[in-house]
Amino acid sequence: MVVGKVKNICIIDDDPIFIYGTKRLIMDANFKGDITVFQNGEEGLSGLLQIHREGKPMPPIIFLDLNMPVMNGWEFLEAIHQQAEFNSLNFQIFILSSSIDPKDTERANSYKMVKDFISKPISPDTLHDILYN
Amino acid sequence: MKTVSSTDTIKNLPFPIAKVDRKFNMIETSGVWDMIFINQEKNTSETEQEFAFPINSLKELNKDCLEKKQNGEKVIPVVCEKGNFLWYRWQIMPYYDEDGDAEGSYILREEVTERIKKEQLLSKAQKVSRVGGWEVDLIHNTIYWTQTTKEIHEVSKDYVPTLEEGINFYKEGEDRERITELVSRAISDGTPWDTELRIITAKGNERWVHAKGEVELLNDKPVRITGTFRDIDQKKKADLEYKKVSERLSIATEASQIGIWDLNLRDNSLEWDQNMYRLYGIREKDFSGVYDAWESAVHPDDREKAQYELQEAIKGHKDFNTEFRIVYPSGEVRYIRAFGVIRRDSEGNAFNVIGTNWDITELKKTQLKLDYSKESFERAFEHAATGMALVSLEGNWIKFNQNLCEISGYSEEELMKMNYLDLTHPEDRSRDLLLRSELLEGKRNSYQTKKRYYHKRGHIVHLIVSITGVKNIDGELSHVISQIMDISKLVKAEEHLKSLVEITQDQNASLLNFAHIVSHNLRSHASNMTMLTDFLLKENDPSELQNIGKMLKDASESLNETVAHLNEVVQVKVGGVQKVRSVNLLKKINRVKKNINALLLEKNAECQIDIPEDLRVKAIPAYLESIFLNLFTNSLKYESPERHPIIKIKVKQNESGSCTIEFADNGLGIDLERHKDKIFGMYKTFHHHKDAKGIGLFITKNQIEAMDGKISVSSKVDKGTTFSLLLKTV
Repeated sequence: MVVGKVKNICIIDDDPIFIYGTKRLIMDANFKGDITVFQNGEEGLSGLLQIHREGKPMPPIIFLDLNMPVMNGWEFLEAIHQQAEFNSLNFQIFILSSSIDPKDTERANSYKMVKDFISKPISPDTLHDILYN
Repeated sequence: MKTVSSTDTIKNLPFPIAKVDRKFNMIETSGVWDMIFINQEKNTSETEQEFAFPINSLKELNKDCLEKKQNGEKVIPVVCEKGNFLWYRWQIMPYYDEDGDAEGSYILREEVTERIKKEQLLSKAQKVSRVGGWEVDLIHNTIYWTQTTKEIHEVSKDYVPTLEEGINFYKEGEDRERITELVSRAISDGTPWDTELRIITAKGNERWVHAKGEVELLNDKPVRITGTFRDIDQKKKADLEYKKVSERLSIATEASQIGIWDLNLRDNSLEWDQNMYRLYGIREKDFSGVYDAWESAVHPDDREKAQYELQEAIKGHKDFNTEFRIVYPSGEVRYIRAFGVIRRDSEGNAFNVIGTNWDITELKKTQLKLDYSKESFERAFEHAATGMALVSLEGNWIKFNQNLCEISGYSEEELMKMNYLDLTHPEDRSRDLLLRSELLEGKRNSYQTKKRYYHKRGHIVHLIVSITGVKNIDGELSHVISQIMDISKLVKAEEHLKSLVEITQDQNASLLNFAHIVSHNLRSHASNMTMLTDFLLKENDPSELQNIGKMLKDASESLNETVAHLNEVVQVKVGGVQKVRSVNLLKKINRVKKNINALLLEKNAECQIDIPEDLRVKAIPAYLESIFLNLFTNSLKYESPERHPIIKIKVKQNESGSCTIEFADNGLGIDLERHKDKIFGMYKTFHHHKDAKGIGLFITKNQIEAMDGKISVSSKVDKGTTFSLLLKTV
């Protein structure tokens, strides 16, 4: 049984089916930690800020959707980038999107906190790599 | 020698005579004497008396006569009251005693004025006309020359010539030979001579003389030759000079083919020189008179005019300077220019016309050619399909054609008061002036430029203007020809093409965007379904199976919905402008309102619609309905929880055949700072609303654009949103 260092995963996505599927895949990968879900960028930003301010451990892995209402993935990235409090923190963002537009991939990779751009659906192997490597 | 007896009385003699003693005392005077001298004494002054009776001169003469015992005489002039001279000859005749001693004298006065005057006149005349006389005595073989003759020969006063010397003064050669021959003949047969010859004077000057000679015969034998000798040098030289000049003139007129005519108005006779005949191509001998010749040669159509003009000139109305045609005997027609100077007497009556004729056919032909080419240019200028203008170097119109009036919209009079810069668009002036100055400086001969004019009605006219410099005969720039071509239609077409390209680019961009959206949305549903299907296959738990099945249904419904949306978008995108028609705006809005009446009532919404009843817009009815439906439902969907919705719709008519519809609500509003770029984007949502799909405004925008309209938005969070729709009116 492989036990990873990752104790906490955050998902920011508005699609309930995707959230259900991702949660299930994570659990199928024997992840024992917490999964925090935010419905859009705005919720994610305020939620993460709250976690940080309360002194709780920040989720080191964030799965971020791009196309969301109110605040989309890009705006969220920009907000994180602007937020000085997050600069010192060590977390990785994985973009999970249905887009296969190379421009989106390129744009996402221009942010240093973006670890990878993954086109939906996410495969169990990819998820395993993320969790344990 | 005559003596007069002392006993004789002189009293009654009919002329002025006086007798004096040795001491010049009057002894006796004639009655006439007394009348002249004694009576006059009373009225005249001393000086005049002195002149009247020149006592001192006479005393002196008397003394001389008494001593020499001879008669004496003296001519003394007297100035009379009128200032004329009177000449008197005073004669003194001494009388003697028995011893022969002179006792006294008789003094006789005789008026000789007439004679003296004649003598003086003759001598003066001889002197003035330089007429000398000479005489050869053939018996004694002596020769006599008068003073003037000597002067003409430039010899001294006391020179005594011989016959041979006289001959040798004539210039060696033909002159001397001639005189020798003439003199010989005169001596042999008495023929007089009258000739003009040259002499060489004693001082070596050559001089023309008029020599006349006549032989005097005695018993058929010549005894004497007398003659006159006149200096005609100046006249002769003038004559020769005149001859030379007239010869030169005649050569010149002949060479230049100028004919000279001379009309004597007193006897109406006309004279022509030879050139005239040559000019008219006729022979003198073929005509009875000169006038006859002229009349037959001149073109019948021009005869009257030429005659009329000559009469006008004679009357003094104008100069005689005319043109007429003549017809050669061969039938060839030539053009003649005639010029005349009228000569008038002291009373201003014309008595003579001297004039010239010359052939101007070639000039005329050239002139006609020039006229023709000028006319063709003018015709081309006036009827050119482009605007044409002649512009002075100062930039003012010299001339322009009707087409320029049409291009600029100004009438000829209005345009004349302007210059080309007044018409030129301000932004184009500096470049125009630069090119123009280069042309004026000779850096270029012509140029072509694109520029804009302002039409009289205010709109812009696009032009291509070609400017060409025109030089005068000295090679200096005199004016420019400007060709102005209206390319507004072309520019408009180009702009239209450009806008088409822009539209195509827009459409391409939106198509690409659309393709991404399609792939994204279809993929998101498809990937969900893939994922769920995987779970379904592995799942054993019946409740979880049911859960997955429900989600699978949701996913497939979403996929359906997305496909429906995409289909709707595609429909709008391909929706043609040709379906656009006139739609009553108010009626359309009211119909939409009626359709959603239940919803409005449920939300307790208020509508304030302020639209003219008759306003019609160019629209696709279904789109217009869909747009308003979307706007209404959006306003109700995103209402403020704190207040009842109020929707205000009003319209503003624009000048250029369009209107702006403002659709305002008092709902939640949109943070435009954040969402400005994507408010009309596909699948963009800005509110946590269960029904927010992010498709409505995207379709609305596409529908508006399909009707050639525009949509924009202004909004304040928690105050409301206003959409502005620009549509074309009918």
